Amino acid sequence: MHSADAQMLVLTVLADGPRHGYAINTAIEELTGRKLGPGSLYGALTRLEARKLVRPAGAGGDAADRHRTMQITDAGRAALRAELEQMARVSQAGLRALGTAPA
Amino acid sequence: MRPSALMAALYPPAVRQRWGAEISRQVAESGVRSWPDALLGAARLWLHPGDWPETTSGQTRQVLTVTLFAVTAATALLVRAAGQPVLTGSLRHPATSLWLAPILLGAALGAPAPPLRWRALRRLATVAARTLAGPAIAVAAMIVTAHAGVLHHPAGHARIGLLAGYWAVLSFTALRLCTLTARYARTAHLPTTRRLRASAMLIGAGLSLAAGQSLIFLSRTAPGTRSLTLALALSLLAAATITAAHDLRT
Repeated sequence: MHSADAQMLVLTVLADGPRHGYAINTAIEELTGRKLGPGSLYGALTRLEARKLVRPAGAGGDAADRHRTMQITDAGRAALRAELEQMARVSQAGLRALGTAPA
Repeated sequence: MRPSALMAALYPPAVRQRWGAEISRQVAESGVRSWPDALLGAARLWLHPGDWPETTSGQTRQVLTVTLFAVTAATALLVRAAGQPVLTGSLRHPATSLWLAPILLGAALGAPAPPLRWRALRRLATVAARTLAGPAIAVAAMIVTAHAGVLHHPAGHARIGLLAGYWAVLSFTALRLCTLTARYARTAHLPTTRRLRASAMLIGAGLSLAAGQSLIFLSRTAPGTRSLTLALALSLLAAATITAAHDLRT
């Protein structure tokens, strides 16, 4: 899967609440019907953390668990919103062109 | 080592420390079909050191210092294995040794500075002696065998055995030198990110030159598997080193 697609899926799932890696992938499977490969998932989490769009959750569980449970940041929510709005515009334009949506 | 643990071990140390257990678990659960994605994920992360989550201060610089040394050592082994006259390392052949200049300059720029304290230097010398004792004995044994004249013109199995032994000693020495660099980097003054970036760029430039020289050699002679492999390996190493250097944030 393309790196940017994997990052958006992870952000979408984390927008619903903090999760650890395995739970993120389970939620992605529920959303799309297939899981991300380990390289795509943890690569996306690493890149999103480097861009400060996600961060380790600060509470709950033991220290190692807290470190691996990730949550979306405000910058992450803003980036996800911008990306989804752009996708919605593209989607509407495509549907209009196909004659399946009101102009 | 189980394949799942091996896959996790291929990731950069910082990523491995954070996600290694989960990567290993997911690879074990998904089986062979997850291997290409896991391998590709590891390769992508090695090319983007700016994304690594530092679990200790200076970890990225420490890992990059060792990686650049490993790239230099791998290049030396590759060039030695190919034995092409177009890639030399001698002042008597400046035109064919040009590729080596940026690599040596890059390696010097990326080398950690020794701690200027007597106690630390003594400790470093002890670590070096312990780490390099094995390779020193192996190299000495190889030289003694070569000069003993026991095998003047080896043939068949003896020749294969000697060649295997020669390459095993060279690879072992390169590996132990990388281990020494890793141990040394823990206590030495690490280069700044800017210096490491310049170092990686220079090493990448040297590798590109070597790949170019190798390709010119290929175009002038009948292409063989060995020279093709060398040109391809040098090009890949050059591209990877320059990509990683570009990604380093200063």
